[in-house]
Amino acid sequence: MSALAEILFGGLFQGSLYAMMAVGLALVWTTIGVFNFSHGVFMMLGAYIAWQLVELGLPAAVAFPIAVVVMAGVGWILQASVVRPLIGRPNIVLVVVITTLAAGSLIENGALTIWGPRSKQIPALIAGNTTIGGVGVSLHQIAIIVITPLILAALWMFLNRTRLGLALRAVAQNEDASHLVGLNVTALYGLAFAIAASLAGLAGIFMGGYRFMSPVMGSDPLLKALIVVVFGGISSISGPIFAAYLIGFFEAACSYYFGLYWTPALLFGVLILTLMVRPEGIFASRSRGLA
Amino acid sequence: MNPILSVEGVTAGYGRVTVLHDISLEAGRFGNVGLFGPNGHGKTTLLRAISGLLQPKSGRILFDGQDIVGHSARAIVGAGLIHVPQGNRLFPDLSIADCMALGAYSPRARPHEAENREKVIKLFPKLAERWRQRVRTLSGGERQMVSIGTALMSHPRLLILDEPTLGLAPKIKDELCASVMDISRGGVPLIVVEQDIEFLLELTQQLYLVNHGAVATEIKPGESLDHGEIMSMYFGH
Repeated sequence: MSALAEILFGGLFQGSLYAMMAVGLALVWTTIGVFNFSHGVFMMLGAYIAWQLVELGLPAAVAFPIAVVVMAGVGWILQASVVRPLIGRPNIVLVVVITTLAAGSLIENGALTIWGPRSKQIPALIAGNTTIGGVGVSLHQIAIIVITPLILAALWMFLNRTRLGLALRAVAQNEDASHLVGLNVTALYGLAFAIAASLAGLAGIFMGGYRFMSPVMGSDPLLKALIVVVFGGISSISGPIFAAYLIGFFEAACSYYFGLYWTPALLFGVLILTLMVRPEGIFASRSRGLA
Repeated sequence: MNPILSVEGVTAGYGRVTVLHDISLEAGRFGNVGLFGPNGHGKTTLLRAISGLLQPKSGRILFDGQDIVGHSARAIVGAGLIHVPQGNRLFPDLSIADCMALGAYSPRARPHEAENREKVIKLFPKLAERWRQRVRTLSGGERQMVSIGTALMSHPRLLILDEPTLGLAPKIKDELCASVMDISRGGVPLIVVEQDIEFLLELTQQLYLVNHGAVATEIKPGESLDHGEIMSMYFGH
């Protein structure tokens, strides 16, 4: 019983974080058609900005939303500086991999210079612990498990029930046709990046509340989010969400039965298998588009 | 009547390849305008330049007296110049309802959304039956209806259709031609690219033969042509 509870809980928790990260990657891929390798850095920066605001004396309830909004701006600026100028060039996918990696590295080292290498921690969303099914868990983790689906549902509602969301989905499917109905394609690209960066920043705040933060804290979640989007397929945002939780459960089960050491190898085994059997991802159709 | 659109000496192309060579034409002075000519001679490129998808290298394009070269596609849509691209490659995973809402995205079109939706449904009752269906599940003719319907939602002052009947079965094509005639009778001036000359002769008052990226021949109202003459223009003398 306690084994199952542990796997279930671990899976839900890790899955929540992966889903927040993977959805942003998928959003940027479907709308702009590029892969954002500075996505992990967004996560780190969100956490550090939140930490800094708390350090300045703001209560967490004020600091966290501010950090998320600042991250939206960071995402917009990054898009405008290293992605937008390249749109329309040949080999854009490859070029943007390089520019976002470079920007990510710059921000990562910038954070190291500003905040130093010493590990930091930000306040938990809810302090305290409890026991569920014989497993001790923190209320912070429970809060994350509850909040994440709400945020993802809100994103889904935004994409499917609002005019602006409709415009984002349209750009994802056909850029020329989007121009011809008068959409501001450049602004929508910026918006996709801004949303992705906010979600990543929020994931960073979640993570900084239970684990020590460091300037490289985003690289492992980015790797996991990459596995998730390859596994789930990147052509929609629902695919990566389901995949994130599946990978979360898989990881939790692996580390329970085989130990933490083997988990990455097994995860990559799944990734390679997916690429061989169903390269478009298990939840994906073969076309691009948000839904 | 002043021309609503005039293209003056436009040169345009892709990269180092020049497709349009100093092309000039006018629309709206005599009514609808038809463009015809062999494939690959610049008709679609011309339309892309007009709607702002492609920046001309030189020349002027005046819409309602204002030079729109350098304006964004969004600004041009906002002014009421609406372009329906070739091949009904719209938004495959959006529903018809979504497409219609997108058509009414520009601030100019939004106040007329309900009224334009009525018009589209009246024109294409088939679309109402499939209102919530994804575009990719529709037939070629229905997709073309969605394309044209989306454009009508944009409240056009000038509507450009790029080969609206391309690849359609004869019966569906006839229906669509009738609908396009209806749109024209509703008071929206048209520029239509078509391979079907009979349809163009019926629909338009002024024809341009576009060949090698320039206007080879202009046919003004009153200068009626028979089928044989047009064929000889296509295939040389």
